Amino acid sequence: MSAERWKEDEVLLESLRKGSPGAVDEMLRLYQGKIFNLAMSILKNESDAEEAAQDVFMTVIRKADTFQGNSAFYSWMYRICVNTCLMRLRGKRRTDTVSIEEFMPVFTDEGMHASPMDDWSKEVERNALNEELGRMIRKYTEELSEKYRVVFVLSDVEGLSNEETAKILGLTVPAVKSRLHRARLYLREQLSRYLREGKAS
Amino acid sequence: MNCKELAYMLADYIDGSMDPQLREELDAHIAMCEPCMIFTKTFLVASDKTRQLRKEIEYKIPPEVRSRLETFVRAAALKFPEKVNEYREQVERERREKVAALLKAAIAGRLSSITALLVETHCAGCPECKEYFDGLLKASSPAAGDPPMLIDSHVTRLMESLPPGEEFFLA
Ligand SMILES: [Zn+2]
Ligand SMILES: [Zn+2]
Repeated sequence: MSAERWKEDEVLLESLRKGSPGAVDEMLRLYQGKIFNLAMSILKNESDAEEAAQDVFMTVIRKADTFQGNSAFYSWMYRICVNTCLMRLRGKRRTDTVSIEEFMPVFTDEGMHASPMDDWSKEVERNALNEELGRMIRKYTEELSEKYRVVFVLSDVEGLSNEETAKILGLTVPAVKSRLHRARLYLREQLSRYLREGKAS
Repeated sequence: MNCKELAYMLADYIDGSMDPQLREELDAHIAMCEPCMIFTKTFLVASDKTRQLRKEIEYKIPPEVRSRLETFVRAAALKFPEKVNEYREQVERERREKVAALLKAAIAGRLSSITALLVETHCAGCPECKEYFDGLLKASSPAAGDPPMLIDSHVTRLMESLPPGEEFFLA
């Protein structure tokens, strides 16, 4: 996380604690988009995400006073958001997630690649496909179960380190790393199938 | 090293945490194995692309959601000072109740073993608390009113040092 972000966070926290005018606007300016994005990626539903975001900001306002400062402010806020969203998911029917196992690379009993590899790296490196790829990556991410999705979003979309993600989710760093790696293996496989099938047609 | 091991070790390879000898083995395997070469290349490209397209993958907050959220949070925040005071009072009330419960449990000899140990250790180094606890045990009834401020703050700190979820008295 950048030094400016730390600075901004500190100022924000101080003014929230004092109840200074403008504190709430500043919080919304800095975090509204991020909290909505995180809530959307867990809940995948706009009105649920909106309600979750309301809850998150109310909790932050109410608890700013008791925030201990032994973790970064934004990571405390993300943690509140993840907990709020997971609580909402509880008891809800999980919608159309795919099994990540179906999209892991396949190996022979000797541990060799079981199917031929197609090199589509050049196609993807060119920026011509970006719009399409962004859309596909989002679709594939949405199909992941939230166990992988949350780790993926914090790491690759929010750009947090494995340590930060681990703290927010209450996981160990190796657990975060392994989930993230599996999510990336899955994405590679999905993209591979998409590009291969696209070529065939 | 085989292809399967290689695929699952790529995370360490990329973030640089892999030990140099393994890294050499991995490089040697990739140089000899075309499927792994292509696999690694496409894996890296896909991961880089994902990070590059971060903004495209992100959910943008729709303007109407933004304005509703702002209205809601601002209105709720107007009641902010009262709410904070309410909350603080509640926390203080709960704290005092806990201190009283701990003293009562100490008199009845019903402290959990970990709490009893904490109290004992503390009293060994704190004459004020030792005198207070000894007095309680002798009188075998709680003193009238709240304990003196010093005792109160020491007992509070003691309770805060209990592991979360740990009950301080026996059921
Ligand atoms: Zn190989
Ligand atoms: Zn003492």
